[in-house]
Amino acid sequence: MAKIAITLTINGEPHEALIEPDRTLLDVLRTDLGLTGTKTNCLDAECGVCTVLIDGLAVNACLYLAVVAQGRAITTIEGLASSGDGRALAGALHPLQEAFVEHGAVQCGYCIPGMILSAKAYLDDHPRPTEAQVREALAGNLCRCTGYQKIVDAVLAAASRMASSAVAS
Amino acid sequence: MSTGTRVAGQSLPRIDAPGKVTGSAVYAADFALPGMLYGKVFRSAEPHARLVRIDTARASAMPGVRAVITAADAADVRYGAAVKDEPVFAPDVVRYVGQPLAAVAAVTLEAAEAALAAIEAVYEPRPPVLDLAAALAPGAPLVHERWRAYTAIPILQRDGNVCNRARIVVGDVERGWVEADHVFEHRFTTAMVHQGYTEPRAAVAAWDSSGQVTVWSNTQLPFDVQATLADILAIAPSKVRIIVPGVGGGFGGKLRIGVEHFAALLARKSGRPVKVMTTSEEELTAAYPRQGTVIELKTGVTRDGRLTARQGRIYFDTGAFAGSGPGVASVATMVLAGPYRTPNLHLEGYAVYTNKTNCGSYRAPSGPQANFAVESQMDIIADALGIDPLELRLRNIVHEGDEGPTGQVLTAVGLEECLRRAADAIGWADRRPAPGRGKGLAIGWWTTTGGSSGVYVKINPDGSVTLNTGAVEIGTAALTGAAQVLAEELGVDLADITVISGDTASTPFDFGAQGSRTAFAVGNACRAAAAELQRKLFELAAAHLKTTEDALALRDKHVVGPGGRVSLAELARQSQVSGGGMIAHGTFIAPGTAYDTKRVEGHVYPAFHSPSFHAHAVDLSVDAETGEVTIHKYVVAQDVGFALNPIYIEGQIEGGVAQGLGQTLSEEIVYRDGRVLNANLTDYKMPTTLDVPRVESILVEHPGRVGPFGAKGVGEPPNVEPPAAVANAIAAAVGTRITSLPITAEKIVLAHSRDAAGGTH
Repeated sequence: MAKIAITLTINGEPHEALIEPDRTLLDVLRTDLGLTGTKTNCLDAECGVCTVLIDGLAVNACLYLAVVAQGRAITTIEGLASSGDGRALAGALHPLQEAFVEHGAVQCGYCIPGMILSAKAYLDDHPRPTEAQVREALAGNLCRCTGYQKIVDAVLAAASRMASSAVAS
Repeated sequence: MSTGTRVAGQSLPRIDAPGKVTGSAVYAADFALPGMLYGKVFRSAEPHARLVRIDTARASAMPGVRAVITAADAADVRYGAAVKDEPVFAPDVVRYVGQPLAAVAAVTLEAAEAALAAIEAVYEPRPPVLDLAAALAPGAPLVHERWRAYTAIPILQRDGNVCNRARIVVGDVERGWVEADHVFEHRFTTAMVHQGYTEPRAAVAAWDSSGQVTVWSNTQLPFDVQATLADILAIAPSKVRIIVPGVGGGFGGKLRIGVEHFAALLARKSGRPVKVMTTSEEELTAAYPRQGTVIELKTGVTRDGRLTARQGRIYFDTGAFAGSGPGVASVATMVLAGPYRTPNLHLEGYAVYTNKTNCGSYRAPSGPQANFAVESQMDIIADALGIDPLELRLRNIVHEGDEGPTGQVLTAVGLEECLRRAADAIGWADRRPAPGRGKGLAIGWWTTTGGSSGVYVKINPDGSVTLNTGAVEIGTAALTGAAQVLAEELGVDLADITVISGDTASTPFDFGAQGSRTAFAVGNACRAAAAELQRKLFELAAAHLKTTEDALALRDKHVVGPGGRVSLAELARQSQVSGGGMIAHGTFIAPGTAYDTKRVEGHVYPAFHSPSFHAHAVDLSVDAETGEVTIHKYVVAQDVGFALNPIYIEGQIEGGVAQGLGQTLSEEIVYRDGRVLNANLTDYKMPTTLDVPRVESILVEHPGRVGPFGAKGVGEPPNVEPPAAVANAIAAAVGTRITSLPITAEKIVLAHSRDAAGGTH
């Protein structure tokens, strides 16, 4: 298959790649660009470890063609602390990341990048969610370690912190 | 939670959390080397057949293909933890659908996949042995005709398709039946289930010019994989270096060699680094899942509810190779005894070959299956005798100083406290609060696996501390727990400690991340290292402070004496000038647990070391129309000895219950005619955020004598009781007893309608 040159805007930076047009965004992120914070597992959009944000929406990068992502804003876990919210300093954690650390929501951690990005996409539209809404929003992200309880608690805590900081500013 | 400790016992964030939430933590699946090829495994399409020939010529000639290997490229070696029965590639007979027959390496994954499609295998099918009944039937075809020729642990009791029969005999069950007023007999079954780790098994192998192979792998047991791989490659273990970057969950599924050997053989053949990673289909057809079982349980009891005898047989469908089966069958007999005083026992565990994937170890191997039978039957007995299930358990549970089934003396037994507190928390007094709603209890005990651990601990010239351990962090935060023990003993903060782990070339030996042992054993090795460091620090400080060593104390990152103090950083700097640096080697081996050797046969796990005790309680409703189960409250009271880091112990409990609920309600690897029907994550149904209830954890602390600060193993136990607790609550809710896992909604509705019609099931 003939390769084509594409430019992807990832975490605010342009990245160029020469790829076959049937390559997935997940594969290009991990293999061509070395952005392995986005994880790989089922390749069937069932487990959610590959979740990234495209124009703010959470998508499964394993079933999303890289060529389709051109011209759109791609956010991966590597860019979360410095993207959006206009408040994070270099090296600082996003409130969701802070909350996951503080609430013991991380065990093996392999599902966590996708989990955090799914949560971010939801909180951006629903800043004051209920627990039931958070559980619904994360239903596409499998975690085998935590039983989800501390993840849900972390997202609720982050939502509350983000909402109060939005009010303050 | 903690008294008198600064760091141990505190709910501090795990030390690897920042890397994991920012995506900078590197897992084996993320690892890559320049020029790396991608390897794929060609697998058998037949459950049992003679491999007539395998043709790889077309595949070898395809674009981008750099190596194709078959049995002819691997030494004629069989490996296995208990029975050495498994070849790298089937040389002549294939024994399950999914068994490796060949492997390819190519410049892209797509090219490797295309090459697989070009490999042709010709089979001459043989009658497959599809389940336990077929394997155990008189005259059954043998899965391994030459089973006697295999090297095995000498004490195993092997016979044809049975690759071990483990047995515990205590007293005389015949006398027990006579003394009983009632004898209950039931049969239970459980399905094969997968650990469900989110990171596939992955390995990258590269050879260097000295003939050493380095493999970056997500194994839980780097030293075990090193030894196995050295055997397979027919080279010295020191020529095999296993490095574990990061592990995305294991739960026992990543104990044994997984894809490391394929990567190493392909890398040797191609002269390039090779990466091999499994797909979900490979995970669900050719990994190391939990064995399905059949359990026959017979229990005698007096009319006032005293156990007089128990006879149990548990059969493990361990698949085409023994895998963990012989050991799991042994552990199962300990679980079948239950944490009960029963004067007469006759308990057997059978590991049985069939033509399915090779089963392995999954968090508390045998625990959920055996406990499901024992604790379901306790409720059946209670209801039949008209005794409250809580009361029946209280009349029979073990207490401090009692004997375990093999004669070990039980200490630090927090079971009654666990049972009472869990029952109270669930509002046990009202067991059937509404139609279709019921409560269930289950109790159990589990071991803290022994094995040795070594650590090197170094105090750096800036006063920070490096903990170098051969253990690996699989997600439990066990190495954070061990670091907390070290920080406590050295008088430093957790933030001062950096962990280097899991590299067979540079880290000291560790028995590995298995059996709830890591925080326990590595923590104790840290205590030993801290004691040695203190001795060395005091020696230097005594000269520096012009005093004697017995006048010194470690406090607040200083050695403090009567006339002044000196920082650990300063002493480390002095040691670099005078003594090669401030470093200590700490080791630990769990002391043996005495037991009565006359009670056991074919048994590779005859005592539970530093045992933990636990109780689960659940309140749920069952929808009469659909059979759907809704859990209102789930409580776990677990005797952890000492809670090294309470928030992550809660995490172990919450996660263990979630996995347990999956096994209880929805998960099953479904085989038909030797083929898996649901080898994908759409049809293999693991619990999501919408399926798992909140879990209330009650941490009970009866300190043990061996673990750091009294800690016991905590990782596996929460996985033991969910099936029985839920089955008991369902029976209380709708009056229907389900004796097979998973308890799907469909099964409940069908059984309930049969019950209503007066039938049995």
